[in-house]
Amino acid sequence: MSGTTATAARSPRSMAWARRRHAFGGFCREFSHSRAGMAGLIFLVVVILLALLAPVLAPSWMLDVTKLLEQPRFAPPSFAHPLGTDDQGRELWVRMIWGARVSLLVGFAATAVSMIIGTIVGIAAGHFTGWTGGLLMRIIDFFLVLPSLILAIVLSSVLSRGVWTIVIAIGLTSWAGTARVVRAQTLSVESRDYIERARVLGAGHWHIIVKHLLPAVLPLVLANTTLTVGSAIIAESTLSFLGLGDTTLQSWGSVLKNSMDVSAATAGYWWYILVPGIAIVLVVLAFTLIGRAVETIVNPTLRSR
Amino acid sequence: MPDLTFDDVCITYRTAGRNDEGEIAAVKNVSLVLPAGGTLGIAGESGSGKSTLAMSVLRLLPANARLGGRVLIGDTDIADLRFGELRALRWAEASIVFQGAMHSLNPVRTVGQQIVEALELHVSDAWRTDKTRKARALELLYAVDLAPAKAEAYPHELSGGQKQRVMIAMALACEPDIIIADEPTTALDVIVQMQILDMISALVAQRGISMLMISHDLSVLATACERIAIMRDGELVEVGDAYEVCTSPQHPYTRQLSEAFPTIGDPASRLNPVTRRTDAVTDKTRELSDDVVLEARGVTVTYHGRGKPLAAVKDVNLSLRRGEILALVGQSGSGKTTLARTIVGLQRVDEGSVIRFRGKDIPHRGRALRDFRSEVQMVLQDPSAALNPKISVYESVAEGLRVQRFQGDEQERVAQSLADAELLPPERFFRAIPQELSGGQRQRAVIAGALAVGPQLLVADEPVASLDASVRGEILALLLSLRDRLDLSALVITHDLGLAWNIADTVAVMYEGAIVEYGPTEQVLLDPQHPYTRRLLAAAPSIERRLA
Repeated sequence: MSGTTATAARSPRSMAWARRRHAFGGFCREFSHSRAGMAGLIFLVVVILLALLAPVLAPSWMLDVTKLLEQPRFAPPSFAHPLGTDDQGRELWVRMIWGARVSLLVGFAATAVSMIIGTIVGIAAGHFTGWTGGLLMRIIDFFLVLPSLILAIVLSSVLSRGVWTIVIAIGLTSWAGTARVVRAQTLSVESRDYIERARVLGAGHWHIIVKHLLPAVLPLVLANTTLTVGSAIIAESTLSFLGLGDTTLQSWGSVLKNSMDVSAATAGYWWYILVPGIAIVLVVLAFTLIGRAVETIVNPTLRSR
Repeated sequence: MPDLTFDDVCITYRTAGRNDEGEIAAVKNVSLVLPAGGTLGIAGESGSGKSTLAMSVLRLLPANARLGGRVLIGDTDIADLRFGELRALRWAEASIVFQGAMHSLNPVRTVGQQIVEALELHVSDAWRTDKTRKARALELLYAVDLAPAKAEAYPHELSGGQKQRVMIAMALACEPDIIIADEPTTALDVIVQMQILDMISALVAQRGISMLMISHDLSVLATACERIAIMRDGELVEVGDAYEVCTSPQHPYTRQLSEAFPTIGDPASRLNPVTRRTDAVTDKTRELSDDVVLEARGVTVTYHGRGKPLAAVKDVNLSLRRGEILALVGQSGSGKTTLARTIVGLQRVDEGSVIRFRGKDIPHRGRALRDFRSEVQMVLQDPSAALNPKISVYESVAEGLRVQRFQGDEQERVAQSLADAELLPPERFFRAIPQELSGGQRQRAVIAGALAVGPQLLVADEPVASLDASVRGEILALLLSLRDRLDLSALVITHDLGLAWNIADTVAVMYEGAIVEYGPTEQVLLDPQHPYTRRLLAAAPSIERRLA
């Protein structure tokens, strides 16, 4: 602690922020050393940029079938049609970058819903013992054994069709696993002496949860988030593929579904299936790579495994 | 019978990772000889390299360790052995009693199976068939005073002392020439510790095995070993005859270690723990006021778990006056921690129990409980666990103030508390996180956190049990000086009678949930009435006892 920092770091709040900034800086440095994590991150940034720039790169008329009458149908990938065209003559690359918007949006939003519910319920189930904790655990168990795809199908047919219905359907069905993981971590932190110490100091539930439990489970939740985004994107594709999404919007799942409708696999239109399929695999892989990298940083015992 | 020789041994750990520290020398140029049939103790504080040195005998060091010099068993250099030869040597010629028997046994196999495992791997003429191996296992259990039926028991069905006995039986299984005992009695309480030490000594003498024993407690080694070596920071400080080393130490560090544990009855150490400070001598003649701070009448605590209810604390009566230090002494399972948790209001008492703090019943909920918590504070056993590793010392100390909605200058109060706990200058410790502090500093930070809310009573649960010997005296002196400066009362829970002799005004001896003896320290420790108190006193390892 040199003299220069002593004056700057008088108030506890600024000290806490300085420490957090420092920790975040360390985290970024470490992440940049992870080659796999960086590859995943760069790929994702590119995809997100493409999705955001979709209206500039490919104006929406390029998806309007009425204006595409001269376009060849089922053109294989070539110089003129980089990823080929579909059964209505639309360029596949245009559908892909427009579809990325919906797929990523659903992926992020559904994950956010799932993480928030999972973290709150998980911490509560771990912190409150006895009756409350038991009841919460049974609720978690209920959602855990529920066939999530069927629940999602029911939800999206009961509610109005649309992107947000899919978000809710996926979010509501995928939080239980997170809650269990969070509860396990909460239980282990809860048994530490510093929780007992806080209790002796007179702390209530709110203080213990916000000050000690939440920071302890957050790294775990963050690592879990990236993994869940991947499965949420797949879930969205599944639901769109089953025809439960918004038919007016492009998404990778709906591209896949259209390809199925025209029996692309048997008719030899391989690009129609492979392009959206590989795109989903790559994005999920990118998220997994980032998730693993984050996990090894926040949990040093995983290193060298 | 071969000798065990360490010839100029150096062990370095290569470390990688974010704080790239390069190479750390754990053991530096140590030369030691353990003659066949002899017993050698290695004493040192945590981080002195004593366990590393012991593990090198069986080449059990982790992959990032590099061994320099030679470790010889007889004429064989351990480093030259091929893997097969090493396997033959492990356990059959030299075996280890690992530190922490609680975690060294496989929880899903019976102890009989685990003893037989070693015999199956090192088959010899004496145990060639399953039947003879089983017989051998029972014979070993008999040797360590365990009933044959225990062979069918799983580790969780045994007490700590019994598990330690099983570990020793396993070490003896293949009739080794050398036994390495790494802290064999740490985490056991005094009475069990004495039994284990007596048993090891008897077995070693009987069978002519040589033994290398490692401990942080010089008095334990004095009880069991002929020669003692003292290690510090990887270097050998002193080595010699156990009696010589303990009674007339040559090196100042050895003196510090041997003085850390007081002799009960020695007036020089009464209310005067060993410290490096000079102002520590307190006024020994001070009178206690009649102002009773805490009063407990008929306190009973029953745990209702599965099975029949268990009374952990039975009908306890205590009173604590202002400025009084009361030591609650007992072995593990005697209910002393439950009693402490009860007094700070963490544990509900049974009907009919009365605990009064300043004449009022202690509250159980709401505002009143929070106010009570600012009057009574607790210091937990393990300071590294009692501080959130992610939070700076400042935040940890200020935590209590924020919980108590302290009105006033928070920073000033935190600095004052750190200064009271003798972390000076306080500003230096504001931003430190627990892992940057030593064990003693961490315990001071915990104490500062308790002091910040301005308590009248401090309940300390084994405040020095997990600290090194040299730090022990410092923390005890701090407790004494807090009493003198701030007129605090303290309830100190301990299994260590020497600690009570060092700081306590009154002593209460607890046995199976009840207080069996209660009175002024001198009276209880020098003229014990109850047979249990006498057993405790007799079991406390001390340097003089054996050598007198």
